[in-house]
Amino acid sequence: MKRYSPLLLIAVVALLTALPWFAGPTLVQFAINALMLATLAQGWNIIGGFAGYASFGNSIFFGLGSYGVAIAMVQWNLPFGVGLVVGVIFSIIFALAMGGPVLRLRGHYFAIATLALSQVMSAIFSNLEVAGRNIGLVLPLLRSDTLFYELSLGLLVLATLTVFYLSRSRFGFGLIAIRENEDAAQSMGINTTRYKVLAFTLAGLFCSLAGGIHAYWITFIDPNSAFDLSLNVKMIIMAVFGGPGSVLGPVIGAAILSAISELLSSTLSSVASLFFGVVIVLAVILMPKGLTDCWLKFPVTRWRYFINNIRQYRL
Amino acid sequence: MDLLLQVIINGLLLGGLYALMALGLALVWGVLNIVNLAHGALIMLGGYAGYYLFTLMGIDPFLALPLVMLLLFILGYALQRYVLTLIARSPMFNTLLITFGLDVIFMVLAQLFFSADFRTINPSYAGAHVTWFGLTFPQVQLYSFAVALLLTVGLWLLLLHTRIGRAIRATAQNLSAARLYGVNPKKIYALTFGIGAALAGAAGDLYGVVSQITPYIGATLTAKCFAIAIIGGLENPLGVIVGGVLLALIESLTALYVGPTFIDVASFGVLVLVLIIRPQGLLGKTAK
Repeated sequence: MKRYSPLLLIAVVALLTALPWFAGPTLVQFAINALMLATLAQGWNIIGGFAGYASFGNSIFFGLGSYGVAIAMVQWNLPFGVGLVVGVIFSIIFALAMGGPVLRLRGHYFAIATLALSQVMSAIFSNLEVAGRNIGLVLPLLRSDTLFYELSLGLLVLATLTVFYLSRSRFGFGLIAIRENEDAAQSMGINTTRYKVLAFTLAGLFCSLAGGIHAYWITFIDPNSAFDLSLNVKMIIMAVFGGPGSVLGPVIGAAILSAISELLSSTLSSVASLFFGVVIVLAVILMPKGLTDCWLKFPVTRWRYFINNIRQYRL
Repeated sequence: MDLLLQVIINGLLLGGLYALMALGLALVWGVLNIVNLAHGALIMLGGYAGYYLFTLMGIDPFLALPLVMLLLFILGYALQRYVLTLIARSPMFNTLLITFGLDVIFMVLAQLFFSADFRTINPSYAGAHVTWFGLTFPQVQLYSFAVALLLTVGLWLLLLHTRIGRAIRATAQNLSAARLYGVNPKKIYALTFGIGAALAGAAGDLYGVVSQITPYIGATLTAKCFAIAIIGGLENPLGVIVGGVLLALIESLTALYVGPTFIDVASFGVLVLVLIIRPQGLLGKTAK
């Protein structure tokens, strides 16, 4: 963090806060989306980047958050704020109930278990009467992009501050220890189960709030879009592209990738997806540790940085 | 009662195809430690290969199998040799991400070249069936079950009784020791991925006969293959058959007794349960 001056960051946030007053509606709508993705990437960073658990289940929290808001507003006639709380409660219950057993799994097995869980949740919600089954729910319309923009920005700042705190707290170091060597961390006296479940819950909290805001903004949800697996993959890619385990990496990764894919999708949508696939493949091969690492080491080793990466990881 | 029996038979027959779909995934996972998220996309490509061989050249889908497998083998071999080998030793995320990236690329390319229309390989005998003991056996499903069984047993024999099979198993067990004994891991890895892709291609060809192909079936099929591989265990190809049959049975019985909308709850729920209770798979370890 020493490389970023706090004053500069505050200036950037202030500038971003003022954005709706000088930018056009298209830009604001793009920004809401980008902020949401950045929040998701930052949330994933807690469990994936710090604790090293490749969660494909964070989209579950996104879905629970969306459904919390939708069910509270449509079925129970409660205000939006209460809906957010309902979504967060759903997410915490889920994280505590499933976190323990699933976080005992490691590596690929954890990834697949969370992936399967997201399919289960999607299938369960498409059978729930209160959630509108397959058809989904239509939320009341609120035309205020500015409100959604400021909410999303606030949430991203909150998530980033949390990760900043993690990066220098005992809790965060505990998670890094788990990532580097879980057995050693345990023998050092870290209660790994509690740390992992807490990280999972915390990651879920931000995803859930982002989902809630998104549902009200879009005004429509169904099981497929709420528990969309590709959203989960997107947050992983953005975090890994930016630099997993760093404070600003996921945000920068999300900003760059969503800007590029937005620019491309305005011309041709299938080209945008193709580009997305190619970027993933190239980024994983050329800079497997993300932009942050590249930013730090490229000035020293120059173009050899990429060759060294390939040399290090190829068979 | 007859309905239940018929449902079980349909499940069993479908289970053979399921096993074949998951076989390549389990092989690549077990040997290369790559969880191939693009496996479903390879099945999809196999389906298109079979479709075009049938519609453009009139080659029967069952006769086209070797050709489809050869095409997918070449693709898989090249992928591993020139792309995946570059990240063979990088952390797990990266292998997941790169295969996901490949999945996206294949999907978009399929959409561009083959359009998003539903495709079905439709030979003259597609609707035919035989009746034994008052139960119906659709011919196509019967054939594809036989082919799936044949290929699974073939893979098993290949792994157990050939030089290449020994080299593959040695590489899976201990890379550096295998290297010391003169195994070239790059070649073995590429070969293994090629075989995995060829099996996916065969499964895709048969899938195209019993179901519909679109560019978007990849992700669902990959998830299904995971379920089968995990339920069956990664160590023994015969376990994958059990996994495939079990999953197919679970799906058909759920559809019969609970309702078709609960199929995914049941199959993925079972997967999660198996993972939590026995992550090495129902037949893992004990099969060795």
